[in-house]
Amino acid sequence: MRKRSERDARTAHDTLAGVGLGLRWEFLEDVVDGPPLDVDFFEVSPENYMRRGGYYPAQLEKLRDRYRLVTHGLTLSIGATDPPDREYLTELRGEIARLGTPFHSDHLCFSSSGGRMLHDLLPLKFSEENVTRVADRARRVRDVLGVPFALENISYYAALGRPEMPEAEFVARVVERSEAGLLLDVNNVYVNSVNHGYDPYAFLRALPLDRVVEIHIAGHERRESGLIIDTHGAEVIDPVYDLLAYALERTGPVPVLLERDNDVPPLAVLLEEVARVRSVYSRVMRSLEPNHAESA
Amino acid sequence: MQKALESALTELVLGAPLAANDAEAFRAFLSRHGVTDDDARALVEQGLDRLLVYRSLVRDTLEHALEVAMPRAIARLGPLFDEYFSRFLAEHGPTTHYLRDVASEFLNFCEPLWANDGRIAPYLFDLARHEALRIVVAAAPPGQAEPDAALDLDAGLRFTEAARLVHYAYAVHELPDDVDDRTLPERRETHLFVYRGPDHRVRYLALTPLAASIVDHLLRGASLRRSLLAATAQHRTELSEAVLSGTARLLADLSERGAVLGPCRERLTPDGKPS
Repeated sequence: MRKRSERDARTAHDTLAGVGLGLRWEFLEDVVDGPPLDVDFFEVSPENYMRRGGYYPAQLEKLRDRYRLVTHGLTLSIGATDPPDREYLTELRGEIARLGTPFHSDHLCFSSSGGRMLHDLLPLKFSEENVTRVADRARRVRDVLGVPFALENISYYAALGRPEMPEAEFVARVVERSEAGLLLDVNNVYVNSVNHGYDPYAFLRALPLDRVVEIHIAGHERRESGLIIDTHGAEVIDPVYDLLAYALERTGPVPVLLERDNDVPPLAVLLEEVARVRSVYSRVMRSLEPNHAESA
Repeated sequence: MQKALESALTELVLGAPLAANDAEAFRAFLSRHGVTDDDARALVEQGLDRLLVYRSLVRDTLEHALEVAMPRAIARLGPLFDEYFSRFLAEHGPTTHYLRDVASEFLNFCEPLWANDGRIAPYLFDLARHEALRIVVAAAPPGQAEPDAALDLDAGLRFTEAARLVHYAYAVHELPDDVDDRTLPERRETHLFVYRGPDHRVRYLALTPLAASIVDHLLRGASLRRSLLAATAQHRTELSEAVLSGTARLLADLSERGAVLGPCRERLTPDGKPS
Protein backbone atom coordinates (compact mmCIF):
# COMPACT_ATOMS: atom_id res chain seq x y z
CA MET A 1 0.00 0.00 0.00
CA ARG A 2 1.32 3.43 -0.87
CA LYS A 3 2.16 6.00 1.74
CA ARG A 4 -0.18 8.96 2.16
CA SER A 5 2.19 11.47 0.51
CA GLU A 6 2.45 9.26 -2.57
CA ARG A 7 -1.31 9.07 -2.84
CA ASP A 8 -1.52 12.85 -2.39
CA ALA A 9 0.86 13.45 -5.27
CA ARG A 10 -0.90 11.03 -7.58
CA THR A 11 -4.44 11.97 -6.69
CA ALA A 12 -3.89 15.73 -6.70
CA HIS A 13 -4.79 15.79 -10.37
CA ASP A 14 -8.23 14.34 -9.55
CA THR A 15 -9.29 17.88 -8.79
CA LEU A 16 -7.85 19.04 -12.11
CA ALA A 17 -8.74 17.41 -15.37
CA GLY A 18 -8.91 17.92 -19.10
CA VAL A 19 -6.88 20.33 -21.18
CA GLY A 20 -5.44 23.61 -19.93
CA LEU A 21 -3.46 26.53 -21.25
CA GLY A 22 -0.45 28.38 -19.82
CA LEU A 23 -1.60 31.86 -18.82
CA ARG A 24 0.15 34.72 -20.62
CA TRP A 25 -0.33 38.43 -20.13
CA GLU A 26 -0.74 38.80 -23.90
CA PHE A 27 -4.25 37.34 -23.65
CA LEU A 28 -5.05 37.76 -19.96
CA GLU A 29 -7.63 40.48 -20.62
CA ASP A 30 -9.40 38.39 -23.29
CA VAL A 31 -9.67 35.48 -20.88
CA VAL A 32 -10.84 37.55 -17.92
CA ASP A 33 -13.37 39.72 -19.76
CA GLY A 34 -14.34 37.50 -22.69
CA PRO A 35 -16.91 34.71 -23.00
CA PRO A 36 -16.22 31.34 -21.34
CA LEU A 37 -13.55 29.38 -23.18
CA ASP A 38 -13.20 25.69 -23.86
CA VAL A 39 -10.22 25.52 -21.52
CA ASP A 40 -10.45 23.40 -18.38
CA PHE A 41 -7.78 25.20 -16.38
CA PHE A 42 -5.00 27.76 -16.62
CA GLU A 43 -1.48 27.31 -15.40
CA VAL A 44 0.17 30.27 -13.70
CA SER A 45 3.81 31.10 -13.00
CA PRO A 46 3.53 32.34 -9.42
CA GLU A 47 6.70 34.44 -9.67
CA ASN A 48 4.81 36.77 -12.00
CA TYR A 49 2.32 37.58 -9.24
CA MET A 50 4.16 37.13 -5.95
CA ARG A 51 5.11 40.24 -3.92
CA ARG A 52 3.22 42.27 -6.43
CA GLY A 53 0.26 44.61 -6.55
CA GLY A 54 -1.46 46.38 -9.41
CA TYR A 55 -3.17 45.29 -12.58
CA TYR A 56 -2.00 41.71 -13.09
CA PRO A 57 -2.76 40.32 -9.62
CA ALA A 58 -6.15 42.07 -9.80
CA GLN A 59 -6.88 40.36 -13.12
CA LEU A 60 -5.73 37.01 -11.73
CA GLU A 61 -8.19 37.40 -8.85
CA LYS A 62 -11.00 37.73 -11.39
CA LEU A 63 -9.71 34.78 -13.39
CA ARG A 64 -9.66 32.60 -10.28
CA ASP A 65 -13.41 33.04 -10.00
CA ARG A 66 -13.92 31.75 -13.56
CA TYR A 67 -11.37 28.95 -14.05
CA ARG A 68 -9.34 26.40 -12.12
CA LEU A 69 -5.74 27.48 -11.66
CA VAL A 70 -2.61 25.46 -11.06
CA THR A 71 0.81 26.92 -10.23
CA HIS A 72 4.02 26.04 -12.01
CA GLY A 73 7.13 27.75 -10.67
CA LEU A 74 10.27 28.89 -12.46
CA THR A 75 12.83 29.79 -9.80
CA LEU A 76 12.61 27.25 -7.00
CA SER A 77 16.02 25.91 -8.09
CA ILE A 78 15.42 22.56 -6.42
CA GLY A 79 18.79 21.20 -7.52
CA ALA A 80 20.92 24.14 -6.39
CA THR A 81 23.55 23.62 -3.72
CA ASP A 82 22.69 26.95 -2.04
CA PRO A 83 20.33 26.55 0.93
CA PRO A 84 16.64 26.87 -0.02
CA ASP A 85 15.42 30.47 -0.06
CA ARG A 86 13.10 30.57 2.96
CA GLU A 87 11.64 33.96 2.12
CA TYR A 88 10.74 32.83 -1.39
CA LEU A 89 9.17 29.62 -0.09
CA THR A 90 7.08 31.56 2.43
CA GLU A 91 5.86 33.91 -0.30
CA LEU A 92 5.17 30.97 -2.57
CA ARG A 93 3.18 29.18 0.09
CA GLY A 94 1.01 32.29 0.48
CA GLU A 95 0.45 32.60 -3.26
CA ILE A 96 -0.44 28.92 -3.57
CA ALA A 97 -2.98 29.26 -0.76
CA ARG A 98 -4.41 32.41 -2.34
CA LEU A 99 -4.89 30.76 -5.72
CA GLY A 100 -6.19 27.46 -4.34
CA THR A 101 -3.94 25.36 -6.57
CA PRO A 102 -4.36 21.59 -6.10
CA PHE A 103 -0.60 21.03 -6.40
CA HIS A 104 2.53 22.97 -7.21
CA SER A 105 5.27 22.02 -9.62
CA ASP A 106 8.71 23.24 -10.63
CA HIS A 107 11.62 21.94 -12.65
CA LEU A 108 14.22 19.28 -11.90
CA CYS A 109 17.18 21.58 -12.44
CA PHE A 110 19.16 24.37 -10.83
CA SER A 111 18.56 28.02 -11.64
CA SER A 112 20.63 29.78 -9.00
CA SER A 113 24.14 29.52 -7.64
CA GLY A 114 26.07 31.44 -5.02
CA GLY A 115 23.10 33.74 -4.46
CA ARG A 116 22.80 34.63 -8.16
CA MET A 117 19.58 33.89 -10.03
CA LEU A 118 20.02 32.73 -13.60
CA HIS A 119 16.37 32.79 -14.70
CA ASP A 120 16.78 29.65 -16.79
CA LEU A 121 16.67 25.91 -16.21
CA LEU A 122 20.18 24.46 -15.97
CA PRO A 123 20.91 20.73 -15.82
CA LEU A 124 22.03 18.62 -12.91
CA LYS A 125 24.56 15.84 -13.07
CA PHE A 126 22.74 12.50 -13.21
CA SER A 127 24.46 11.22 -10.08
CA GLU A 128 23.70 9.19 -6.96
CA GLU A 129 24.64 12.19 -4.86
CA ASN A 130 22.07 14.36 -6.61
CA VAL A 131 19.31 11.75 -6.39
CA THR A 132 19.64 11.74 -2.61
CA ARG A 133 20.26 15.46 -2.16
CA VAL A 134 17.54 16.72 -4.51
CA ALA A 135 14.95 14.21 -3.33
CA ASP A 136 15.50 15.18 0.30
CA ARG A 137 15.21 18.83 -0.64
CA ALA A 138 12.00 18.19 -2.60
CA ARG A 139 10.44 16.52 0.43
CA ARG A 140 11.28 19.52 2.59
CA VAL A 141 9.85 21.90 -0.01
CA ARG A 142 6.60 19.94 -0.17
CA ASP A 143 6.30 20.12 3.61
CA VAL A 144 6.74 23.91 3.55
CA LEU A 145 4.34 24.50 0.67
CA GLY A 146 1.53 22.51 2.21
CA VAL A 147 0.27 21.08 -1.09
CA PRO A 148 1.41 18.07 -3.16
CA PHE A 149 4.52 18.85 -5.14
CA ALA A 150 5.64 17.66 -8.58
CA LEU A 151 8.88 17.90 -10.54
CA GLU A 152 9.16 18.38 -14.29
CA ASN A 153 11.72 16.70 -16.54
CA ILE A 154 13.58 19.53 -18.31
CA SER A 155 15.07 20.02 -21.76
CA TYR A 156 18.85 20.09 -21.48
CA TYR A 157 21.48 20.87 -24.06
CA ALA A 158 24.56 19.47 -22.34
CA ALA A 159 25.15 16.67 -19.86
CA LEU A 160 26.70 18.24 -16.78
CA GLY A 161 29.69 15.95 -16.15
CA ARG A 162 29.91 12.18 -16.63
CA PRO A 163 26.41 10.73 -16.02
CA GLU A 164 26.29 7.93 -13.47
CA MET A 165 22.92 6.79 -14.78
CA PRO A 166 20.62 7.51 -17.73
CA GLU A 167 18.41 10.62 -17.55
CA ALA A 168 15.18 8.59 -17.23
CA GLU A 169 16.58 6.67 -14.26
CA PHE A 170 17.68 9.93 -12.63
CA VAL A 171 14.23 11.48 -13.02
CA ALA A 172 12.52 8.30 -11.84
CA ARG A 173 14.68 7.90 -8.77
CA VAL A 174 14.35 11.53 -7.68
CA VAL A 175 10.55 11.53 -7.87
CA GLU A 176 10.28 8.10 -6.25
CA ARG A 177 12.65 8.90 -3.42
CA SER A 178 11.04 12.31 -2.81
CA GLU A 179 7.53 10.86 -3.17
CA ALA A 180 6.82 13.75 -5.54
CA GLY A 181 4.53 13.72 -8.52
CA LEU A 182 5.99 13.75 -12.01
CA LEU A 183 5.10 16.58 -14.35
CA LEU A 184 5.86 14.92 -17.66
CA ASP A 185 6.83 17.34 -20.43
CA VAL A 186 6.58 15.36 -23.66
CA ASN A 187 8.12 18.17 -25.70
CA ASN A 188 11.17 18.06 -23.43
CA VAL A 189 11.35 14.30 -23.98
CA TYR A 190 11.27 14.87 -27.73
CA VAL A 191 13.84 17.71 -27.63
CA ASN A 192 16.25 15.66 -25.52
CA SER A 193 15.76 12.55 -27.64
CA VAL A 194 16.89 14.49 -30.72
CA ASN A 195 19.67 16.45 -29.04
CA HIS A 196 21.09 13.44 -27.20
CA GLY A 197 20.12 10.72 -29.66
CA TYR A 198 17.82 8.35 -27.82
CA ASP A 199 14.44 6.68 -28.34
CA PRO A 200 11.76 8.90 -26.72
CA TYR A 201 9.34 5.97 -26.38
CA ALA A 202 11.91 3.88 -24.49
CA PHE A 203 12.52 6.95 -22.32
CA LEU A 204 8.80 7.18 -21.49
CA ARG A 205 8.64 3.49 -20.65
CA ALA A 206 11.54 3.93 -18.22
CA LEU A 207 9.66 6.57 -16.22
CA PRO A 208 7.30 5.85 -13.31
CA LEU A 209 4.22 6.90 -15.29
CA ASP A 210 1.95 6.08 -12.38
CA ARG A 211 3.41 9.19 -10.75
CA VAL A 212 2.43 11.58 -13.54
CA VAL A 213 0.13 14.33 -12.23
CA GLU A 214 0.15 16.53 -15.33
CA ILE A 215 1.53 16.51 -18.86
CA HIS A 216 3.00 19.53 -20.64
CA ILE A 217 3.09 19.90 -24.40
CA ALA A 218 4.74 22.73 -26.36
CA GLY A 219 6.60 23.74 -29.49
CA HIS A 220 10.31 24.23 -30.02
CA GLU A 221 12.84 25.70 -32.44
CA ARG A 222 15.49 23.93 -34.50
CA ARG A 223 18.73 25.87 -34.87
CA GLU A 224 21.08 25.75 -37.87
CA SER A 225 23.44 23.52 -35.89
CA GLY A 226 20.64 20.94 -35.70
CA LEU A 227 20.22 21.50 -31.97
CA ILE A 228 16.62 21.88 -30.84
CA ILE A 229 15.83 24.56 -28.28
CA ASP A 230 12.77 24.32 -26.07
CA THR A 231 11.48 27.81 -26.83
CA HIS A 232 7.74 27.33 -26.30
CA GLY A 233 7.60 29.67 -29.27
CA ALA A 234 6.04 27.58 -32.05
CA GLU A 235 3.19 25.17 -32.76
CA VAL A 236 3.39 21.65 -31.41
CA ILE A 237 4.67 19.24 -34.07
CA ASP A 238 3.17 15.84 -34.93
CA PRO A 239 5.88 13.66 -33.32
CA VAL A 240 5.22 15.44 -30.01
CA TYR A 241 1.46 14.82 -30.36
CA ASP A 242 2.31 11.15 -30.94
CA LEU A 243 4.33 11.12 -27.72
CA LEU A 244 1.42 12.74 -25.90
CA ALA A 245 -0.94 10.00 -27.07
CA TYR A 246 1.55 7.30 -26.12
CA ALA A 247 2.00 8.79 -22.65
CA LEU A 248 -1.75 9.27 -22.08
CA GLU A 249 -2.42 5.64 -23.03
CA ARG A 250 -0.22 4.70 -20.07
CA THR A 251 -1.14 7.39 -17.53
CA GLY A 252 -4.88 7.54 -18.08
CA PRO A 253 -6.77 10.83 -17.68
CA VAL A 254 -4.21 13.25 -16.26
CA PRO A 255 -4.53 16.98 -17.05
CA VAL A 256 -2.67 18.15 -20.14
CA LEU A 257 -1.37 21.68 -20.56
CA LEU A 258 -0.40 23.57 -23.70
CA GLU A 259 2.50 25.99 -23.11
CA ARG A 260 3.23 28.96 -25.33
CA ASP A 261 5.64 31.56 -23.96
CA ASN A 262 7.23 33.22 -26.99
CA ASP A 263 5.81 34.60 -30.24
CA VAL A 264 2.43 34.22 -28.60
CA PRO A 265 -0.28 34.24 -31.30
CA PRO A 266 -3.81 35.63 -30.83
CA LEU A 267 -5.91 33.71 -28.34
CA ALA A 268 -8.13 32.30 -31.12
CA VAL A 269 -5.11 30.60 -32.68
CA LEU A 270 -4.03 29.16 -29.35
CA LEU A 271 -7.54 27.86 -28.76
CA GLU A 272 -7.36 25.95 -32.04
CA GLU A 273 -4.23 24.29 -30.74
CA VAL A 274 -5.94 23.57 -27.42
CA ALA A 275 -8.74 21.94 -29.44
CA ARG A 276 -6.21 19.72 -31.21
CA VAL A 277 -4.68 18.67 -27.87
CA ARG A 278 -8.20 17.94 -26.65
CA SER A 279 -8.95 15.76 -29.67
CA VAL A 280 -5.86 13.63 -28.92
CA TYR A 281 -6.83 13.52 -25.25
CA SER A 282 -10.43 12.48 -25.99
CA ARG A 283 -9.41 9.87 -28.56
CA VAL A 284 -7.02 8.23 -26.09
CA MET A 285 -9.54 8.36 -23.23
CA ARG A 286 -12.19 6.74 -25.44
CA SER A 287 -9.74 4.00 -26.35
CA LEU A 288 -9.15 3.33 -22.66
CA GLU A 289 -12.85 2.77 -21.88
CA PRO A 290 -13.43 -0.89 -20.90
CA ASN A 291 -16.00 -1.56 -23.63
CA HIS A 292 -14.10 0.32 -26.31
CA ALA A 293 -12.99 -2.83 -28.18
CA GLU A 294 -16.54 -4.23 -28.29
CA SER A 295 -18.17 -1.02 -29.44
CA ALA A 296 -15.52 -0.20 -32.02
CA MET B 1 30.67 17.38 -7.03
CA GLN B 2 27.46 19.17 -8.11
CA LYS B 3 28.69 22.35 -6.42
CA ALA B 4 31.82 22.48 -8.59
CA LEU B 5 29.83 21.80 -11.77
CA GLU B 6 27.19 24.34 -10.80
CA SER B 7 29.83 26.96 -10.08
CA ALA B 8 31.62 26.29 -13.39
CA LEU B 9 28.43 26.50 -15.46
CA THR B 10 27.31 29.66 -13.66
CA GLU B 11 30.66 31.32 -14.32
CA LEU B 12 30.52 30.20 -17.94
CA VAL B 13 27.12 31.84 -18.26
CA LEU B 14 27.74 35.08 -16.37
CA GLY B 15 31.50 35.54 -16.56
CA ALA B 16 34.03 36.51 -19.21
CA PRO B 17 33.65 34.53 -22.44
CA LEU B 18 35.73 31.40 -23.09
CA ALA B 19 36.82 30.57 -26.63
CA ALA B 20 34.74 27.63 -27.84
CA ASN B 21 37.68 25.97 -29.61
CA ASP B 22 40.28 26.27 -26.85
CA ALA B 23 40.07 22.90 -25.05
CA GLU B 24 43.12 23.65 -22.93
CA ALA B 25 41.63 26.87 -21.57
CA PHE B 26 38.35 25.00 -20.94
CA ARG B 27 40.18 22.28 -18.96
CA ALA B 28 42.00 24.90 -16.89
CA PHE B 29 38.70 26.72 -16.27
CA LEU B 30 37.03 23.52 -15.05
CA SER B 31 39.99 22.68 -12.86
CA ARG B 32 39.83 26.16 -11.26
CA HIS B 33 36.24 25.43 -10.27
CA GLY B 34 37.19 22.10 -8.71
CA VAL B 35 35.47 19.92 -11.33
CA THR B 36 36.79 16.34 -11.05
CA ASP B 37 39.05 15.01 -13.80
CA ASP B 38 36.44 12.53 -14.99
CA ASP B 39 33.69 15.15 -15.22
CA ALA B 40 36.08 17.56 -16.91
CA ARG B 41 37.01 14.91 -19.50
CA ALA B 42 33.32 14.27 -20.20
CA LEU B 43 32.63 17.99 -20.61
CA VAL B 44 35.61 18.51 -22.92
CA GLU B 45 34.59 15.46 -25.02
CA GLN B 46 31.08 16.87 -25.29
CA GLY B 47 32.46 20.24 -26.40
CA LEU B 48 32.03 23.70 -24.97
CA ASP B 49 29.43 24.67 -27.60
CA ARG B 50 26.66 22.76 -25.86
CA LEU B 51 27.28 24.48 -22.53
CA LEU B 52 27.49 27.85 -24.22
CA VAL B 53 23.84 27.48 -25.25
CA TYR B 54 23.08 28.32 -21.63
CA ARG B 55 25.18 31.46 -21.86
CA SER B 56 23.04 32.80 -24.68
CA LEU B 57 19.73 31.66 -23.14
CA VAL B 58 20.40 33.26 -19.75
CA ARG B 59 21.86 36.46 -21.16
CA ASP B 60 19.04 36.85 -23.70
CA THR B 61 16.41 36.52 -20.96
CA LEU B 62 18.09 39.06 -18.69
CA GLU B 63 18.82 41.49 -21.50
CA HIS B 64 15.20 41.30 -22.63
CA ALA B 65 14.04 42.08 -19.07
CA LEU B 66 16.21 45.22 -19.11
CA GLU B 67 15.05 46.24 -22.59
CA VAL B 68 11.44 46.04 -21.45
CA ALA B 69 12.21 48.15 -18.38
CA MET B 70 14.40 50.89 -19.90
CA PRO B 71 14.33 50.81 -23.70
CA ARG B 72 15.23 54.45 -24.36
CA ALA B 73 18.20 54.52 -21.99
CA ILE B 74 19.56 51.31 -23.56
CA ALA B 75 19.13 52.71 -27.08
CA ARG B 76 21.00 55.88 -26.10
CA LEU B 77 23.78 53.95 -24.33
CA GLY B 78 24.46 51.91 -27.48
CA PRO B 79 27.52 49.64 -27.09
CA LEU B 80 28.15 51.00 -23.59
CA PHE B 81 25.07 49.11 -22.48
CA ASP B 82 26.64 45.80 -23.56
CA GLU B 83 29.79 46.68 -21.64
CA TYR B 84 27.94 47.46 -18.42
CA PHE B 85 25.52 44.55 -18.85
CA SER B 86 28.50 42.19 -19.03
CA ARG B 87 30.14 43.83 -16.03
CA PHE B 88 26.92 43.56 -14.04
CA LEU B 89 26.62 39.85 -14.80
CA ALA B 90 30.28 39.13 -14.11
CA GLU B 91 30.74 41.24 -10.99
CA HIS B 92 27.33 41.13 -9.34
CA GLY B 93 24.64 39.22 -11.23
CA PRO B 94 20.90 39.22 -10.56
CA THR B 95 19.91 37.99 -7.12
CA THR B 96 16.15 38.33 -7.40
CA HIS B 97 13.53 35.65 -8.12
CA TYR B 98 11.56 38.26 -10.02
CA LEU B 99 12.64 39.30 -13.51
CA ARG B 100 10.85 42.62 -13.06
CA ASP B 101 13.37 43.53 -10.34
CA VAL B 102 16.50 42.88 -12.41
CA ALA B 103 16.52 46.42 -13.84
CA SER B 104 16.66 47.93 -10.35
CA GLU B 105 19.56 45.64 -9.43
CA PHE B 106 21.34 46.59 -12.65
CA LEU B 107 20.90 50.32 -12.00
CA ASN B 108 22.03 50.04 -8.37
CA PHE B 109 25.19 48.39 -9.71
CA CYS B 110 25.69 51.03 -12.43
CA GLU B 111 24.93 54.20 -10.47
CA PRO B 112 28.40 54.79 -8.95
CA LEU B 113 30.16 53.55 -12.08
CA TRP B 114 28.26 55.76 -14.54
CA ALA B 115 28.84 58.80 -12.33
CA ASN B 116 32.58 58.34 -12.94
CA ASP B 117 32.44 57.34 -16.58
CA GLY B 118 32.91 60.38 -18.82
CA ARG B 119 31.59 58.45 -21.83
CA ILE B 120 28.10 58.35 -20.33
CA ALA B 121 26.01 61.49 -20.62
CA PRO B 122 25.15 62.79 -17.14
CA TYR B 123 21.40 62.64 -17.78
CA LEU B 124 21.36 58.95 -18.77
CA PHE B 125 21.17 57.59 -15.26
CA ASP B 126 18.15 59.80 -14.57
CA LEU B 127 16.51 58.56 -17.76
CA ALA B 128 17.21 54.90 -16.99
CA ARG B 129 15.92 55.23 -13.43
CA HIS B 130 12.86 57.11 -14.64
CA GLU B 131 12.00 54.42 -17.20
CA ALA B 132 12.63 51.54 -14.78
CA LEU B 133 10.46 53.21 -12.13
CA ARG B 134 7.34 52.57 -14.20
CA ILE B 135 7.51 48.80 -13.58
CA VAL B 136 8.56 49.28 -9.94
CA VAL B 137 5.51 51.42 -9.22
CA ALA B 138 3.14 49.38 -11.39
CA ALA B 139 4.11 46.21 -9.52
CA ALA B 140 4.60 47.53 -5.97
CA PRO B 141 2.64 45.52 -3.39
CA PRO B 142 -0.57 47.19 -2.20
CA GLY B 143 -0.54 49.10 1.08
CA GLN B 144 -2.99 48.76 3.94
CA ALA B 145 -5.32 51.69 4.52
CA GLU B 146 -5.49 53.00 8.08
CA PRO B 147 -8.89 53.20 9.76
CA ASP B 148 -10.61 56.50 8.98
CA ALA B 149 -9.12 59.33 10.96
CA ALA B 150 -8.90 63.07 10.55
CA LEU B 151 -5.75 64.73 9.29
CA ASP B 152 -3.69 65.79 12.29
CA LEU B 153 -0.64 68.03 12.38
CA ASP B 154 1.07 65.68 14.83
CA ALA B 155 0.36 62.52 12.88
CA GLY B 156 2.24 61.16 9.91
CA LEU B 157 0.68 60.13 6.62
CA ARG B 158 0.47 56.63 5.21
CA PHE B 159 1.15 56.56 1.50
CA THR B 160 0.37 53.69 -0.82
CA GLU B 161 3.40 51.38 -1.07
CA ALA B 162 3.49 52.18 -4.75
CA ALA B 163 4.31 55.86 -4.06
CA ARG B 164 7.81 57.11 -4.83
CA LEU B 165 9.43 60.53 -4.80
CA VAL B 166 12.31 60.89 -7.23
CA HIS B 167 14.71 63.74 -7.86
CA TYR B 168 16.46 64.24 -11.19
CA ALA B 169 19.03 66.78 -12.29
CA TYR B 170 17.49 66.71 -15.79
CA ALA B 171 13.90 66.91 -16.98
CA VAL B 172 14.06 63.39 -18.43
CA HIS B 173 10.33 62.89 -17.91
CA GLU B 174 9.72 65.36 -20.76
CA LEU B 175 11.66 63.36 -23.35
CA PRO B 176 9.67 61.77 -26.19
CA ASP B 177 8.73 58.08 -25.90
CA ASP B 178 10.34 57.24 -29.24
CA VAL B 179 13.38 54.99 -28.64
CA ASP B 180 15.08 56.45 -31.73
CA ASP B 181 14.73 60.03 -30.52
CA ARG B 182 17.97 61.63 -29.31
CA THR B 183 16.69 64.96 -27.99
CA LEU B 184 18.72 66.07 -24.99
CA PRO B 185 16.76 66.80 -21.83
CA GLU B 186 16.85 70.24 -20.29
CA ARG B 187 19.13 70.52 -17.28
CA ARG B 188 16.53 71.39 -14.65
CA GLU B 189 16.11 70.18 -11.09
CA THR B 190 13.06 67.92 -11.24
CA HIS B 191 10.99 66.40 -8.43
CA LEU B 192 8.40 63.81 -9.40
CA PHE B 193 5.88 62.13 -7.19
CA VAL B 194 5.15 58.77 -8.84
CA TYR B 195 2.24 56.59 -7.81
CA ARG B 196 -0.22 53.99 -9.06
CA GLY B 197 -3.79 55.15 -9.42
CA PRO B 198 -6.87 53.10 -8.57
CA ASP B 199 -7.07 52.22 -12.28
CA HIS B 200 -3.57 50.63 -11.89
CA ARG B 201 -1.99 53.21 -14.20
CA VAL B 202 1.33 54.74 -13.18
CA ARG B 203 1.05 58.50 -12.84
CA TYR B 204 3.62 61.25 -12.40
CA LEU B 205 3.14 64.55 -10.60
CA ALA B 206 5.81 67.28 -10.83
CA LEU B 207 6.33 69.04 -7.48
CA THR B 208 7.99 72.31 -6.53
CA PRO B 209 11.20 71.93 -4.49
CA LEU B 210 9.37 72.94 -1.29
CA ALA B 211 6.44 70.57 -1.89
CA ALA B 212 8.90 67.79 -2.70
CA SER B 213 10.70 68.43 0.57
CA ILE B 214 7.48 68.24 2.57
CA VAL B 215 6.43 65.01 0.84
CA ASP B 216 9.93 63.61 1.32
CA HIS B 217 9.73 64.10 5.09
CA LEU B 218 6.21 62.65 5.17
CA LEU B 219 7.33 59.60 3.21
CA ARG B 220 10.11 59.08 5.76
CA GLY B 221 7.51 58.91 8.52
CA ALA B 222 7.64 62.42 10.01
CA SER B 223 4.49 64.12 11.29
CA LEU B 224 2.90 66.82 9.17
CA ARG B 225 4.07 69.51 11.62
CA ARG B 226 7.66 68.25 11.64
CA SER B 227 7.62 67.91 7.83
CA LEU B 228 6.44 71.48 7.35
CA LEU B 229 8.98 72.90 9.80
CA ALA B 230 11.87 70.90 8.38
CA ALA B 231 11.04 71.66 4.75
CA THR B 232 10.55 75.39 5.23
CA ALA B 233 13.79 75.60 7.24
CA GLN B 234 15.59 73.71 4.51
CA HIS B 235 14.32 76.14 1.88
CA ARG B 236 14.67 79.19 4.13
CA THR B 237 11.01 79.98 3.70
CA GLU B 238 8.49 81.12 6.26
CA LEU B 239 5.78 78.73 7.28
CA SER B 240 3.17 81.11 5.92
CA GLU B 241 -0.54 80.78 5.39
CA ALA B 242 0.17 80.28 1.69
CA VAL B 243 2.48 77.31 2.45
CA LEU B 244 -0.10 75.79 4.79
CA SER B 245 -2.99 76.14 2.37
CA GLY B 246 -0.84 74.93 -0.54
CA THR B 247 0.17 71.86 1.45
CA ALA B 248 -3.44 71.17 2.40
CA ARG B 249 -4.46 71.34 -1.28
CA LEU B 250 -1.59 69.04 -2.31
CA LEU B 251 -2.40 66.42 0.32
CA ALA B 252 -6.10 66.53 -0.50
CA ASP B 253 -5.19 66.03 -4.15
CA LEU B 254 -2.88 63.09 -3.35
CA SER B 255 -5.58 61.56 -1.19
CA GLU B 256 -8.12 61.91 -3.98
CA ARG B 257 -5.69 60.24 -6.37
CA GLY B 258 -5.41 57.26 -3.99
CA ALA B 259 -1.74 57.95 -3.23
CA VAL B 260 -2.33 58.90 0.40
CA LEU B 261 -4.22 56.30 2.43
CA GLY B 262 -4.72 58.31 5.61
CA PRO B 263 -3.04 59.49 8.81
CA CYS B 264 -0.72 57.24 10.77
CA ARG B 265 1.47 57.41 13.83
CA GLU B 266 4.71 59.32 13.31
CA ARG B 267 7.64 56.94 12.81
CA LEU B 268 10.71 58.14 14.68
CA THR B 269 14.14 56.63 15.14
CA PRO B 270 15.37 56.15 18.74
CA ASP B 271 17.13 59.54 18.54
CA GLY B 272 13.84 61.25 17.75
CA LYS B 273 14.33 61.68 14.00
CA PRO B 274 11.91 60.51 11.32
CA SER B 275 12.78 56.89 10.38
